[in-house]
Amino acid sequence: MSRREGSLEAPQADSSVSLLPHLEAKIRQTHSLAHLLTKYAEQLLQEYVQLQGDPFGLPGFSPPRLPVAGLSAPAPSHAGLPVHERLRLDAAALAALPPLLDAVRRRQAELNPRAPRLLRRLEDAARQARALGAAVEALLAALGAANRGPRAEPPAAAAAATSASAASGVFPAKVLGLRVCGLYREWLSRTEGDLGQLLPGGPA
Amino acid sequence: MPAGRRGPAAQSARRPPPLLPLLLLCVLGAPRAGSGAHTAVISPQDPTLLIGSSLQATCSVHGDPPGATAEGLYWTLNGRRLPPELSRVLNTSTLALALANLNGSRQQSGDNLVCHARDGSILAGSCLYVGLPPEKPFNISCWSKNMKDLTCRWTPGAHGETFLHTNYSLKYKLRWYGQDNTCEEYHTVGPHSCHIPKDLALFTPYEIWVEATNRLGSARSDVLTLDILDVVTTDPPPDVHVSRVGGLEDQLSVRWVSPPALKDFLFQAKYQIRYRVEDSVDWKVVDDVSNQTSCRLAGLKPGTVYFVQVRCNPFGIYGSKKAGIWSEWSHPTAASTPRSERPGPGGGACEPRGGEPSSGPVRRELKQFLGWLKKHAYCSNLSFRLYDQWRAWMQKSHKTRNQVGRRDPSPSPLPTGPAR
Repeated sequence: MSRREGSLEAPQADSSVSLLPHLEAKIRQTHSLAHLLTKYAEQLLQEYVQLQGDPFGLPGFSPPRLPVAGLSAPAPSHAGLPVHERLRLDAAALAALPPLLDAVRRRQAELNPRAPRLLRRLEDAARQARALGAAVEALLAALGAANRGPRAEPPAAAAAATSASAASGVFPAKVLGLRVCGLYREWLSRTEGDLGQLLPGGPA
Repeated sequence: MPAGRRGPAAQSARRPPPLLPLLLLCVLGAPRAGSGAHTAVISPQDPTLLIGSSLQATCSVHGDPPGATAEGLYWTLNGRRLPPELSRVLNTSTLALALANLNGSRQQSGDNLVCHARDGSILAGSCLYVGLPPEKPFNISCWSKNMKDLTCRWTPGAHGETFLHTNYSLKYKLRWYGQDNTCEEYHTVGPHSCHIPKDLALFTPYEIWVEATNRLGSARSDVLTLDILDVVTTDPPPDVHVSRVGGLEDQLSVRWVSPPALKDFLFQAKYQIRYRVEDSVDWKVVDDVSNQTSCRLAGLKPGTVYFVQVRCNPFGIYGSKKAGIWSEWSHPTAASTPRSERPGPGGGACEPRGGEPSSGPVRRELKQFLGWLKKHAYCSNLSFRLYDQWRAWMQKSHKTRNQVGRRDPSPSPLPTGPAR
């Protein structure tokens, strides 16, 4: 792998010769997966807004971009970080998304019980986020840039999975679900872009 | 007044909200300290209302710094701005709304009532559920496939349109004992159906009913009492074969096998056959094919392809006196009747084609006539050769009559000169 800005340090030279083609293949594969999942995320978002009713699907609809505890949108500074740092943030976001998507699915099962396709998409999205997150982490490990130690469950996500109730109106729940689906799409798109920079012939 | 039991009070019929993880904070309506932003609370939150009823709602603004004003606020419902005359400022921080004669909700997740700031930003929202309580489901019908399961179908009351999500639950129990059971496999044969796959008793009646529930109330169907043995159906007869009956051009023989799942019980099975011509949609039905596994179709058109299907009614199982339920039709099987060899309608050769006609007005008219005959009559092989042979015969027979009886000036049966 030639050295270029944003690329990861290759492993030891004597083993890198045999590893690099395999690694490159994995990068391509993971990048393709991210690309595909980004498309699915678009479809999920469209289906979601349609089922919540207007004004959710209307152009110009702009609900407050409320923060979701445990997950924020990619920061503007994200693009300026070293690629391994970006991928770590991508992996962390992808790990935080599944419990959020599950919570949205449970709520939508009450609000839109006759929308099996939406519910299935939300279920698939949680599974796909896990899969892509695991693939990104595997790449980071292969590149020697993974986090050391066991991967801890993101604290907010763990709280989400086990915490007691909080009352929430239907409209806020719809808005929050929209926010989560939007974050899902943003982080997938971000991951796709970051992986693209690792590809041979990526931007210098 | 809609039928059915009314649920909680319609104006504020709101079940305890479902649980959401703590992380899903920052709900609209919760003020954010120090943010400098205004938020609001709509009351009531997520009300359930009857169609045609009215709603009084308020949007109360609060925020940082304090002193947020209701001036300039406005409402939208499902994205459409509501006329200002429906709103009024109750006090400096509260805008009220009065809606009358509400229509049924546009989507099952609720109509979106939103309070906006002057600049259009969303301050708060509430979802309205406007509809009707369910009416009594009716017309429950059930059938058992080979005595192994039970599938039931019903019609929702009020044609099903309550504008609210309505849950239908099929319940059943043994008539004289046992607990209520709830069917679990829904929508197996349509939106209002349920399938009970196993653990069904024979020789003892079941009571079956449907309960419909939504935010505005519930309703229960009449109870249907049935014995599984009285509603048995089975698979279509397998191995249906259709064949010719020797050279008989108007008959076909149909044979089939008794459905295997019930073959040990079908002492009185009835069968029905239906058949149609290949390019027709009209089926003819042969009834009363009782307890046989073959039948001969007669009166058919020669040289024609027919599609044939068979179905079975396993009535009388274990002495049941009821009519039984017809199976589905078997897959279509096709066969053709032999072509007719006699001349006449549908073809028989008349004569081999002859030579071309010579010119002349009679022959021109005859050519046109022959062309017309070929299209509209059954004798397709008429030709000028035939006509010439006939002319020759006529002339010969005319000469003979002249020779035999000049005193019998009978006119020729057909003109010999040009037609007028």
